[in-house]
Amino acid sequence: MREEGIDPQNRSDTSDITRREALVTLGVLGGAVAAGATGWGLLEGMVALRQPVESWHKSVCRFCGTGCGVLVGMKDGSVVDVRGDELAHNKGVICVKGSMLPQLTRIPGRLTSPKIRKNGTLVDASWDEAMALVASQFSDAIRYYGPDSVAFYGSGQLFTEESYTANKLFKAGIRTNNVDGNPRLCMASAASGYVQTYGKDEPPGSYEDADYADCFFIFGANPYECHPPIFERIRQRKRLHPDTVIICVDPRRTMTTLHSDIHLAVVPGTDLLLLNAMASVICEEGLENQEFIQKHVRFSDGNKDCDITRFREFLKAYAPEKVERELGVSAQDIRRVAFLFARSKATMSLWTMGVNQRTQGTFLNNMLNGLHLITGQFGRPGATPFSLTGQPNACGGVRDTGALAHALPNGRLVANPGHRAEMEKLWKVPEGTISPRLGLDALALFRAMEQGSVKVALIMCTNPGTTLPSASRYQAAMEKCFTIVVDTVEDSETQRHAQVVLPAALWVEKEGVTGQGERRYQLTERLLTPPAQARSDLQILVDLADRLGHGDLITARSPEAVWDEWRNVSANSLYNFQGITYARLKKERGLQWPCPNPEHPGTTRRYVESDDPFVQKGAGIEFYGNHDKKAVVYLRPYIPSPERTSTDYPMYLTTGRILEQFHTGTLTGRIQELQDAAGPAKIQINPQDAFVLRIQDGDPVEVKSKYGSVRGEAVLTEMSRPGVVFASFYDARLLINFAVADNYDPASKEPEFKVTAVSVRKVAT
Amino acid sequence: MRIDYIHLVYLFGTLFCLLGISLCIRTARTRFGKLQDAPPVSLWITRLPAESAAKLIAFGALIVLPAGAVFIANYHTFEGVHEVGGCASCHVMRPMVNDMQDPNSGTLAARHYKNKWIAENQCYQCHSDYGFSGNMEAKMTGFRHLARYTTHTYKEPITARVRFNNQNCLNCHQGTLKFEAVQSHHTAGSRLASNEMICLNCHGQAHPTSIQRTPGSADYSRLMEPFR
Repeated sequence: MREEGIDPQNRSDTSDITRREALVTLGVLGGAVAAGATGWGLLEGMVALRQPVESWHKSVCRFCGTGCGVLVGMKDGSVVDVRGDELAHNKGVICVKGSMLPQLTRIPGRLTSPKIRKNGTLVDASWDEAMALVASQFSDAIRYYGPDSVAFYGSGQLFTEESYTANKLFKAGIRTNNVDGNPRLCMASAASGYVQTYGKDEPPGSYEDADYADCFFIFGANPYECHPPIFERIRQRKRLHPDTVIICVDPRRTMTTLHSDIHLAVVPGTDLLLLNAMASVICEEGLENQEFIQKHVRFSDGNKDCDITRFREFLKAYAPEKVERELGVSAQDIRRVAFLFARSKATMSLWTMGVNQRTQGTFLNNMLNGLHLITGQFGRPGATPFSLTGQPNACGGVRDTGALAHALPNGRLVANPGHRAEMEKLWKVPEGTISPRLGLDALALFRAMEQGSVKVALIMCTNPGTTLPSASRYQAAMEKCFTIVVDTVEDSETQRHAQVVLPAALWVEKEGVTGQGERRYQLTERLLTPPAQARSDLQILVDLADRLGHGDLITARSPEAVWDEWRNVSANSLYNFQGITYARLKKERGLQWPCPNPEHPGTTRRYVESDDPFVQKGAGIEFYGNHDKKAVVYLRPYIPSPERTSTDYPMYLTTGRILEQFHTGTLTGRIQELQDAAGPAKIQINPQDAFVLRIQDGDPVEVKSKYGSVRGEAVLTEMSRPGVVFASFYDARLLINFAVADNYDPASKEPEFKVTAVSVRKVAT
Repeated sequence: MRIDYIHLVYLFGTLFCLLGISLCIRTARTRFGKLQDAPPVSLWITRLPAESAAKLIAFGALIVLPAGAVFIANYHTFEGVHEVGGCASCHVMRPMVNDMQDPNSGTLAARHYKNKWIAENQCYQCHSDYGFSGNMEAKMTGFRHLARYTTHTYKEPITARVRFNNQNCLNCHQGTLKFEAVQSHHTAGSRLASNEMICLNCHGQAHPTSIQRTPGSADYSRLMEPFR
């Protein structure tokens, strides 16, 4: 292009084109930029408009004790999506139940109105009418029969604020210790095991230990199905470190055993033999950690202290060769597992109901902790005993608040006058308010209803009509008592025996804190309005307190106010979590106690100097819960279960959960996909047994024990070992607890759901 | 040396550009007013009046060749980014790529890479919506990302606003024994197919977490190493 003015002769030839060209070029360029910018702007707008989710909210899964962090996606006032929270402890992993949480907010059959039983049927009533009746029943019973004639039966699914308030109302207001709940059926043995061993409840380790362990000793647990994100974490460890060994002890073949390296299929009820035999191998072959024992361990026979020599003597009766027959596991396998347990760089034990729901539940817990203590598999990343828990808030809400018949908050005991006095001071009630009489634990409570000594019971957020063993006995017991059932859905087995039913808010329809299996407190914030007349359990308890004249005791009336009271109470204990405020919980992905001040990051490993604020400087590891700062290893003899097979009852019945259903299925059973996945519950029988009993797949069968019988459809499967039948308890149409024995652990009072001697026979349809 | 499409793109792209530029210069230098008297131009088998020939050249220079170049460039953009290196050229993508190639990482991307479940073009295999044959939404998103990236109107760590399409997982996994053995895959099948329920919920992190990708985090410098 030529510049203007250089060649005036040719100007007319070129300048028009140049100008036009320049304009066109500029125009095209400008147009392109404008089009691009408009396109971009439009795209930004479109992307924003097309978002299926308006806002994401940090929350916690409603179901099991893993307590997964989730992100809840909201749009137009309803929950439209749920994802695993990548920043929470579960690293974004949840399970199929958690993935269905949006459906949980829309389940059919929600209770929407209070109901009162009139002429045998439950009819709608107003809140005022229902609560007036409840209050008058409570007042009358207390007036005529004393405070111990009323009771509270709560749940590991209530928020902490709710369990704490109920505990305070009953123990410091009504003055009865009859406060218990479904955690008694679930982890009472783990709690008593920890208390006996370390002086304080709750596990020393964390889920994070699974990232470091080289040996997993999964004992009486099925985390693949019951705590899927934890098992995924274990598998992740194995994927990255293929030398990691996963050992699983379970009478059945389960999805967990199928993904384990070693499966020890013990005979139901005999597994303390395995633990003692492992201890005997460890002591016999010099696999124990002398230094750790020297510094941190004391031995006891349960009555008095003893020395390691006595322990060794005791174990001689449990040499692998002596126990292998009764246990059903070869001596060779016992020795192999004992060696792996003791000599792996870091061993993590995980256990749950197979251990806890046993007449020797506490002993088993003692011994599992004991194996870690004698081998020094403790306090290092990956080396820890760890009891998994079943419900989202059994640990934080019930164990930590002491909402149990024998307990007071923060590990205090009713039986201890000093502890009672401390709590009276903290709760600002007159000396002597808290009754010195132990309350009624779950089974004792329902037996008291049976005998008529408990007249009125408030049952919240749980379904004992289905979950108690020997179900028919305790269903009948409920009929003899004025029971008030607070529930979220209609038609539970328990409601059939209730006089008053109150509709409760569910999950994100209310606000509160849950404490999952690793001492982590997490906040569930309110995102939805409860349907129709449903109220939060806290509102119901506050209303009851007012009507019973204890309004001045229950002064904290909002979840946050209750929480503030509770965390300040905790500051006077070794559970101190004063630093876990609502403000922090709204921001952070849960915090693990102890956490004494708002700057404290929380405690990953308890009793370990680097983590735990209560361990003295320089101590390394210190079991400060016990007076001599040592953990106790007990000499726990194997006592066979009262349920032994006989000619009349030649097989063992054991029960458990399945992946797609939670507890009694009142919630998950209403979610179509989960119900389709689970199908109706069936009775699992090994084909060898079925052959002898002439039972074919799909045949109707009857499972009968001394306690009752139940009929259902047989399914033949190698997953059950010969001699063992299995059924899950999520389906009220096959209420397996009719046949389950109601024996219980004398220390923890937890029933033995896992072992019942039964007979099985084919029946006509 | 194997000649594949990328070399042809380079070759034709360069040719188009050089030819386009030279023809543009020639067109600019042409005195269209003086062409009436000029002799006809011989063009292969035909002879054209000089003015027509010049106009034809101008048409080629201003329309045909730029359009061709745009087409080749776009084709390259859509096809070339199938390669992992293409993704790594934006530095916000480096953490995904570095993590994927880290044998000690346990993310889904890393596991698919180190086990050679996906042999090549790993990014594209799992995010197959963004290529030439991908859907319109992916292209719009891609354009938006490009605009944001080039104008620096983004903040680290970046977060995905679009929902990962389960179909990318199902393409390979559906029908395999392991997949079919899981009951929940069947009962939740329609929700998985419609993307209402995402595979990642149960199967974990695909890439480093947003915390790891936040500038200043312990992993940040390791994850941001330049792609080799």
